[in-house]
Amino acid sequence: MALQLREQGFNAFVIVGGVAAWKKAGKPLEPVPPSDLVKLPTFA
Amino acid sequence: MNNLFSLIAHHEYVLIFAVVLSEAIGLPVPAALALVAGGAAAAGGTLSLPRALATAVTAMLIGDTLLFILGRYMGWSLLGLLCRLSVNPESCVLRSAESFYKRGKTTLLIAKFIPGVNTMAPPLAGSMRMPAQQFLRLDLAGASLYILAYGGLGFLFRDFLAALTRGFQAASHVFGEVLFVAAIAYIFYRFFLYNKNKVYRVVPRVQVEELARKLESDEKEKVMILDVRSHGYYDAKAERIKGSLRIEPNNLSEELKSLPKDKDIYVYCT
Repeated sequence: MALQLREQGFNAFVIVGGVAAWKKAGKPLEPVPPSDLVKLPTFA
Repeated sequence: MNNLFSLIAHHEYVLIFAVVLSEAIGLPVPAALALVAGGAAAAGGTLSLPRALATAVTAMLIGDTLLFILGRYMGWSLLGLLCRLSVNPESCVLRSAESFYKRGKTTLLIAKFIPGVNTMAPPLAGSMRMPAQQFLRLDLAGASLYILAYGGLGFLFRDFLAALTRGFQAASHVFGEVLFVAAIAYIFYRFFLYNKNKVYRVVPRVQVEELARKLESDEKEKVMILDVRSHGYYDAKAERIKGSLRIEPNNLSEELKSLPKDKDIYVYCT
């Protein structure tokens, strides 16, 4: 993903370990907003 | 192959059931090969074709339903766990989710034929809240297609397969050739891994502490954090890095239009 961003001219970096490493380091998290959740396809 | 024929002939339905169930729950076993062997055994009269097919379909439905239920209640944590067992954990869920984006519920009809997607489709359907009856109907159809395709192959080409296995026995040098092909395949695999790692090397990586420092400094206005996980959002209780924005990896070309080029963009996908 970061590579694709770079290819499009964005100055992109990868966060090592992602959200798991962020959480482990005690950095602040927030719940995913419902507006983002509804973007997913569902069959309900 | 010959050993598998022999095993199928001796342990019959139990082996078909065990192998198909194992593949359905994500274990790396050759269910397709077992189905071909089962079909050939049925053509030879060793097995009853309807019973063999029913055994395989039942095993697949049990495995798929188990993952469907687990997907419903465990969400992306199960998907993450299953993907850690796959060759490419990062693309594993994305690939399966993309299939659902493109084909919707009909993914379940063809999922069994697509490596990687086959195991992920039932838990994804569960996490996407597909009604159980609809899942069972589609999964039954998909499982039947898969089992009929491979079982039918063995049934129809029994003589050819038997000749093939006799040929393998007679020509011992084939073993050497197989080893040679395997060695070549391994070299290509290592080359693929090397190229993959080379790609990763060209993308700068930052540690959590380094990013946190930037966010606490004057540079924070230049920082944008993007959450590009896909599977993380299958769980309503999912959390993300505070202040990050989500972009949908399956819709990247559209999402890129809204991103600023004057900021440093930090992405995470796990």
